[in-house]
Amino acid sequence: MVPVQYYLLVSAAVFCIGVFGILTRRNALVFLMSVELMLNAANINLVAFSRFHGNLTGQMFSLFTLAVAAAEVAIGIGIILVLYRNFADVDVTNATTMRW
Amino acid sequence: MVYQLPPWAALAPTLLFVAVALVLFVIDSINPDTENRLLLAATATAGSLAAAGVSVWYLLAGTGEAPIRLFQNTLVVDTMSLFFAFVFASVTALVVVASYDYMRDHSYQAEYYALVALAASGMTLMPAANSLAVVFISLELSSLPSYALVAILKRNRGSVEAGLKYFLIGALSSSILAYGISLVYAVSGSLLLPQVAEAASVEGLTGVLGIGVLMVLGGFAFKTASVPFHFWAPEAYEGAPAPVSAFLSSASKAAGFAVAFRVFTVAFPVETYVQTAAASIDWVLAVQILAVVTMTLGNFAAATQDTVKRMLAYSSVGHAGYALIGLAALTGGNDQFVLGASMAHLLVYGFMNTGAFLFIALAEYWSVGRTFEDYNGLATRAPFACAAMTVFMFSLAGLPPFGGFASKYLLFAGAVGAGFWWLAAVGAINSALSLYYYSRVVKAMWIEEPSSEFAIESKPVGLYAAIAAAAVATVLLLPGFAPVWEYAQSAAAALVA
Repeated sequence: MVPVQYYLLVSAAVFCIGVFGILTRRNALVFLMSVELMLNAANINLVAFSRFHGNLTGQMFSLFTLAVAAAEVAIGIGIILVLYRNFADVDVTNATTMRW
Repeated sequence: MVYQLPPWAALAPTLLFVAVALVLFVIDSINPDTENRLLLAATATAGSLAAAGVSVWYLLAGTGEAPIRLFQNTLVVDTMSLFFAFVFASVTALVVVASYDYMRDHSYQAEYYALVALAASGMTLMPAANSLAVVFISLELSSLPSYALVAILKRNRGSVEAGLKYFLIGALSSSILAYGISLVYAVSGSLLLPQVAEAASVEGLTGVLGIGVLMVLGGFAFKTASVPFHFWAPEAYEGAPAPVSAFLSSASKAAGFAVAFRVFTVAFPVETYVQTAAASIDWVLAVQILAVVTMTLGNFAAATQDTVKRMLAYSSVGHAGYALIGLAALTGGNDQFVLGASMAHLLVYGFMNTGAFLFIALAEYWSVGRTFEDYNGLATRAPFACAAMTVFMFSLAGLPPFGGFASKYLLFAGAVGAGFWWLAAVGAINSALSLYYYSRVVKAMWIEEPSSEFAIESKPVGLYAAIAAAAVATVLLLPGFAPVWEYAQSAAAALVA
């Protein structure tokens, strides 16, 4: 059996890839994918440690996380759609009518 | 024998908001092209007032004195959750009444009110969360409708931009929160807050647990618009429709604090995590730094703004810093006092800040303009509304004789009593600075000569009613502070005593 620490390393790596994507990409859709990576990194931890601890709490919570992530993407795609209609682009750095 | 309500009835404020949202959907699906915005607004108002009434009734009847635990202890209804349910429900009622006028030309009325009700149901659930899973779900339930609400003016570039930035930072911080929860679960093996508290004694995994605690703190910092996740706040509050800004900056922020109070006192208690852990996880120090930085940054940024709405947005960040004192002063042995003061401040803040943003809504309704200069001489045309705005401004600054004075005074007194005099000193200096930019608004309205000619065509009933109610509450909260203080104290006692 793979030691449970390895799962922590995998999930940390996936999480960091997500953070890297958010920091470097300007496309709103890629941003959404990066957020999905970060949420799934959490799911890896939850499922791995659910087995390690011998209870189902973590697995159940990861199902909830998946559902919430889907809802979040639905809202996000909606906002990106209106972004495209107003700014004719999905580049997150284009929308600067207000100063930061 | 007295008739006893079933235990699930303790969740009545949440259930009422869910019911309102569903009723609005039903009305909308029966008659999608309805022009009857009075019916929609009245339904939402009745629901929020009922939720506020039920919370007060439960508080008076002592429902939460012995905590009611539901769904295998994942939800707990006590004085603290009812206290905050009252705050959210009254802010929602004010916002909904004001939206009746503000959203008059909007084509998706039913959706707007339903989203407000859904967000409010998530908020009322947040202080009752007793499991990290419920924390995450209820936080998302209040966030997701808020993203849509900010971007609801689909053809307004400012609104869409605000919605995008709010969503991007919200999605980022919710995934950080989820990862933090997963790390805490990795060490503790449970998501229930009381059992998470025992994880501090696990040897060898303190590092993982510490990162988890910090990430959870980050997730709450987003919801409360505190540093380092405050970047969305000025954009979202400025671009969103003003009633939505009022809703987010008052209710949503208070919800973030409510859930943070419960998680950090029950799941990561100071005694086990900071003082006696295998290796100390000093989140109190992190919160102290965040409180000072948030206060200072919010107030200094607010002082340099040209537009009133953006100034209020930064002042809202500053107030998040004051409320953080409730957590930052937790090691000083004065826990109940300072935590209760923070809760009382959030209640008073709920009324005065909502009122201030609703005045902005009124100004936008009249197309007055956004900058301080545009407000010049407004008092000659709308003296009543300007008097109310003056009350909000001075109360936000913490001047007597308004509610904001009492809550801020007790908050700083609590910090001093806990031995953190420097926290109170930073807060007091920032309050003095805040008086500068709040009085700029008052000066523009009452002293300056009107620079441009414009006529006020109508006096919208809903906006006026909401502003008047908020102003009356802000004034009455000083003489009527005793009961608020009493319930805030017993709410805090539910967590730390």
